[in-house]
Amino acid sequence: MIDVKHLSKSFGDHLVLKDISEHIYPGEKVVIIGPSGSGKSTFLRSLNLLEVPSSGSICFEGVEITDPKTDIDRVRRQMGMVFQHFNLFPNMTIRRNITLAPVRTGLMKQEQADEAAMQLLRRVGLEAKADAYPNQLSGGQKQRIAIVRALAMNPKVMLFDEPTSALDPEMVGEVLAVMKELAADGMTMVVVTHEMGFAREVGNRILFMDEGQILEQGSPAEVFGNPKNLRLQDFLSKVL
Amino acid sequence: MEQYEAWKALLRQGTGIPFWQEFYVKFYQAFLENSRWRQYLGGVGTTLLVTAMALCLGIVLGILVAMVRTAHDQQRPGRKNPILGVLNGICKIYVTVIRGTPMMVQLLIMGLVVFSSSRNFTAIGALTLGINSGAYVAEIIRGGLMALDPGQAEAGRSLGLNYADTMRFIVIPQAFKAILPSLGNEFIILLKDTSLITVIGGKELVYAAQGIYGRTYEQMYPLLGIACIYLVLVIIFSWLLGILERRLRQSDRR
Repeated sequence: MIDVKHLSKSFGDHLVLKDISEHIYPGEKVVIIGPSGSGKSTFLRSLNLLEVPSSGSICFEGVEITDPKTDIDRVRRQMGMVFQHFNLFPNMTIRRNITLAPVRTGLMKQEQADEAAMQLLRRVGLEAKADAYPNQLSGGQKQRIAIVRALAMNPKVMLFDEPTSALDPEMVGEVLAVMKELAADGMTMVVVTHEMGFAREVGNRILFMDEGQILEQGSPAEVFGNPKNLRLQDFLSKVL
Repeated sequence: MEQYEAWKALLRQGTGIPFWQEFYVKFYQAFLENSRWRQYLGGVGTTLLVTAMALCLGIVLGILVAMVRTAHDQQRPGRKNPILGVLNGICKIYVTVIRGTPMMVQLLIMGLVVFSSSRNFTAIGALTLGINSGAYVAEIIRGGLMALDPGQAEAGRSLGLNYADTMRFIVIPQAFKAILPSLGNEFIILLKDTSLITVIGGKELVYAAQGIYGRTYEQMYPLLGIACIYLVLVIIFSWLLGILERRLRQSDRR
């Protein structure tokens, strides 16, 4: 589904991603773990070209998105993204946050989009907040809305960039619950997270990144139960 | 009226008269004699007209320049648009030249060199002030666009919205709210800078005051008078801005 070949990214002299090749298959739940500064967020953000790679190529369903001639907006419509800091639009109501993109990109008419938004909001138990503004919500509610906003575009894959890192501990559960439900529905997901419990429970495949490289990968049982890489052992000893 | 003529005669002779009588004479002379208040009124009209025209021009220019400059800076690496590069260069020169030269000099050049054959001083004044204001407004807008959390634009783009829609619905409304105080500041400066067009013959408030004290040889009252008029105009202006700001703050309700 997403094919990454020899992806490198540098900020100035600093090489953040070093020649990464990876493939993400339909329906997979890939969880990326690793210490801060390991390049996992940059890798995730490269997948929908929020970061433009310095070299290498990324293909999404056969379309090379790193080609400057590709209409990146069209590709991004099929890839939902959820950010650490929610990035809801504070100048709009929740309803408009959710329906803006589907309507403006011509995916739905306003009434259709409103209907779809209410359906999604009901699914995450926030239908009462449709006419509220983002600043009136708690962090957990904001992140659930952000997930709904991405889902409103009917994406084929969802990218999560540390979705629970900015939340109060008591709100982490409600967001993870929505993500688990999404996973159970068969959504393809790529998740950068520090929630090891979530990684173990939901992930099909765990990627451990450090210093811009994928040092080890495998099923949760392999990675958590029998880590081979020394740095992964060290990392897990600190976080578990 | 007769009383006024009598006191005025006394004042001319140098006879000491009570302060309130002197005040009355000079006030009458500065504002009421020969319906002079009409000249101030005409001056206020021109001042407001020039401000309004310069404001519109300044905003349009400012938005255009700010859009070009930010669009140029936010291009994806490896996908630079050469036309945008040229436009960006022009905008940079514009901002540098306008901000780098005094307003008064710009007015004199426009009035006495570029449009030396034109007698329409109001229009020349408005044009020059508008061009001047545009450079400052552009930098204010650019600052507002750049100060906004990049995550906002990223969220818009990640949803598949194009650059123009992201700017229109997400970035600009938020940036506008943030820059409103600085923009208000710039507009107040613009309103007061209209007083400078008197150097090229624009018939605004200062011109009216100068005309009057040129006849009466009494400077204090006309000058204090127009100072008060400017003050009142600015206060009204600030009040209107305050209303607008409160309106825009609606989504901040908690």
